[in-house]
Amino acid sequence: MRALTAALLVNLFLVVVGAAGGWHLWRRTAAQADARTITWGGPEREWRDVEGVVRAIVPELGIVVLTHADIPGYMPGMTMGFRLAGAKIPPSLSVGDAVRFTVRGSPPLVVVTAIEKP
Amino acid sequence: MSTLALALRWIHLVASVALVGGAVMLLVAGASDRPTALAWQRRVARAARWLLLVAVVAGVGVLAHQTALLEGRAGAAFEPRALLRVATETQGGLVWLSRLALLALAGFFVSGGLRVVARVDWVALHGETAALAALALALASAAGHAAAVEPGAIRAIAVDFIHLAATGVWAGALPALALLLRAASRESGADARPYAVVAGRRFSRWALVTVIALGLSGVVNATTHIADVAGLIGTTYGRLLLVKLVAFALALIVAARHRRRLLPALSGDAETIGRPAMRRLAASVTTEAVLIAAVLAVVAALGVTPPARHEQAAWPFAFRLATAALERSTEARWQVLVGSQVAVIGLVGLLCVAMLRRQRLRLPLLAGALVLVTMGGALALIPLAVDAYPTTYHRPTVPYTATSIVSGMAVYDEHCAVCHGRSGGGDGPAAPRLPRPPADLRAPHTGDHTAGDLFWWVSHGIARAAMPGFAATLSEEQRWDVINYVRLLGVLETARWMGPTVDPGRAWLVAPDFSYTVAPAPPRSLRDYRGGRHVLLVLYTLPRSRERLAQLADAYQMLTTLGVEIIAVPTDASPDAIKKLGDTPRVLFPVVTDGGLDILSVYRRFDTAPHAEFLIDRRGYLRARWSSRTETARDMNRLLAEIQELNQEKADAPPADEHVH
Ligand code: HEC
Repeated sequence: MRALTAALLVNLFLVVVGAAGGWHLWRRTAAQADARTITWGGPEREWRDVEGVVRAIVPELGIVVLTHADIPGYMPGMTMGFRLAGAKIPPSLSVGDAVRFTVRGSPPLVVVTAIEKP
Repeated sequence: MSTLALALRWIHLVASVALVGGAVMLLVAGASDRPTALAWQRRVARAARWLLLVAVVAGVGVLAHQTALLEGRAGAAFEPRALLRVATETQGGLVWLSRLALLALAGFFVSGGLRVVARVDWVALHGETAALAALALALASAAGHAAAVEPGAIRAIAVDFIHLAATGVWAGALPALALLLRAASRESGADARPYAVVAGRRFSRWALVTVIALGLSGVVNATTHIADVAGLIGTTYGRLLLVKLVAFALALIVAARHRRRLLPALSGDAETIGRPAMRRLAASVTTEAVLIAAVLAVVAALGVTPPARHEQAAWPFAFRLATAALERSTEARWQVLVGSQVAVIGLVGLLCVAMLRRQRLRLPLLAGALVLVTMGGALALIPLAVDAYPTTYHRPTVPYTATSIVSGMAVYDEHCAVCHGRSGGGDGPAAPRLPRPPADLRAPHTGDHTAGDLFWWVSHGIARAAMPGFAATLSEEQRWDVINYVRLLGVLETARWMGPTVDPGRAWLVAPDFSYTVAPAPPRSLRDYRGGRHVLLVLYTLPRSRERLAQLADAYQMLTTLGVEIIAVPTDASPDAIKKLGDTPRVLFPVVTDGGLDILSVYRRFDTAPHAEFLIDRRGYLRARWSSRTETARDMNRLLAEIQELNQEKADAPPADEHVH
């Protein structure tokens, strides 16, 4: 084979391999980033037995503010307001209570379907 | 085993570098039809085959050694399955595999099996060899220390890539050049002498560019892996680098002599070029190549030595230079000023010597200038010298956190308070019986002593003062704990003067880090807010703080928008803090339910009032303190104004952790 032909072929091969490798790497990082972000919309999901502490109760809006543990696949532990299904807040609930609750829905549209003091 | 591994790395490196450079040298010299030149080209091409073989075999050896290390047993080096696993499943292995594959491709071009029909084939042949081999060589950067740099691995790899590639195309060409010059300097090589001269000149130009690239990338590399002077002279890595630099400098001196003396000596009519001059140049290039081989041996060693940044530097001298002395004494300032001026006059003298043509004047002037430089330097540097110890530049292995300080407090009360007194004033019960009064640990000694100095004293004692060493009684962790506590003691006095207003641009008081939980959310620490938010740490007592908390709760939304997080700690450290707050005010910021005790033990040393607030900027410095003892109520607008002040600051102070005194 002529040296020039061989060089051109090898370079072509390297470009193809490089492009394929780059594509693969890009897909992998993209997939990792996907895994980390919350998927908005999508099918309805449910998270049971999430631990939380009641920080505030807003009966007129049907909202409880909870400091909660990590909710895997949805959000890390933080303080935020949750709407209660049917806007029914158990009358025994008061600020500072440790609770377990169930969240249901397709983020960001979720509601607390059950909340109880363990 | 490790000597063998080092040798393998070195051989691999030398062969790879020479492979790249050989092809580059052929291209730089260009094609020729002179018999001696053709013979030289064939010789280089033949050498390339051997170099490639050696590089691949040694490379496989390195991979095998790596496998044995990773698998934890020597036998694994000879198991194809284990080798394959390491080569395909670890990043380093994958890089080595790709490099070997590139070398194999290069083998195709050095094999001699390809037809050269036209000149373009000749260029393609050697160009491709050079490119593939250079890529294989430079890719090693992705398997070395650069790949472990955090953050900025990509940048570090890119710089190291350039460094390695430049090494290949410059240093690797030296053996081939030496061969050409040797061949042309023989009686029978007269036909190729003009060719050799041209090749030498072209290479010289080429070398200038690559050496500059090599130097620049080398400096960046060094600063990536070595943090400071202590790292350079106090760690194995740093010392190896110094050896490398010396060998490299020698090679550069030899190279400079080529450019200035030996190459110009080859000028003139090609036919009359002296053989002796060319032989001298050939010998000198060989010397340079040998020096570079020595540099590469050091490079191989550097590759298996942990970078200085990850090591504790052992300071080899009994003193170090620090400017702290200047702040206290005017006399010292004058001495430094006069000394440095004298030294500058001496330097000007040296410059004159360099430019002077009159040989007779040179020697006395040189002597005078050297005396001035030495005397001036000594005069200026002596006041800057302070005592130093092997651990002077050790970084604390236990960070400055509330938890460590609290542990340190206990150690202190048990072991140090007898002499230094419970509050650090040097008034412990045993103090009067000592030959020297114990140091007042409350005195600010920022800048005078490093954390490593304190570590040395606490470990080995201070003999003249009868302070015992605690290396045998306290673990290393306990010693750092107590140093963290001493660090706190040292700032308390000054911190007392900190008021509720931010002093613009003056960040000096490092806020001890702490971690806390607001159950059941995962734990967080003050550090997590670095570079992100300011933190208002609120120590509160119910019921008197209720009104203030209501104020903060109302403003929380606005404070968040301004980049502030509030962390509230009840002074009773109750796990029921949230319940006790009740539903009015509606407090939504973190109220610490766990971890409060350590925070209180440390931060109440700054202020014991029932309600105290600390404003900590986003770099981790404590900037303002407001206490219910000094003012009964606080206007929210004033707090907002302080925060605006912080937000307008430019980030010029280093982040709080580098600020170890
Ligand atoms: C037997 C008494 C004694 C004990 C116990 C002791 N020290 Fe000291 N320490 C001294 C004296 C005396 C000095 C003053 C040294 C000097 O003047 O050079 C000193 C100096 C120091 C210094 C140097 C301060 C400076 O600014 O120069 C530090 C830091 C220190 N001690 C820390 C400690 C710690 C921490 C402990 C406990 C682990 C401790 N010492 C236990 C007697 C003691």
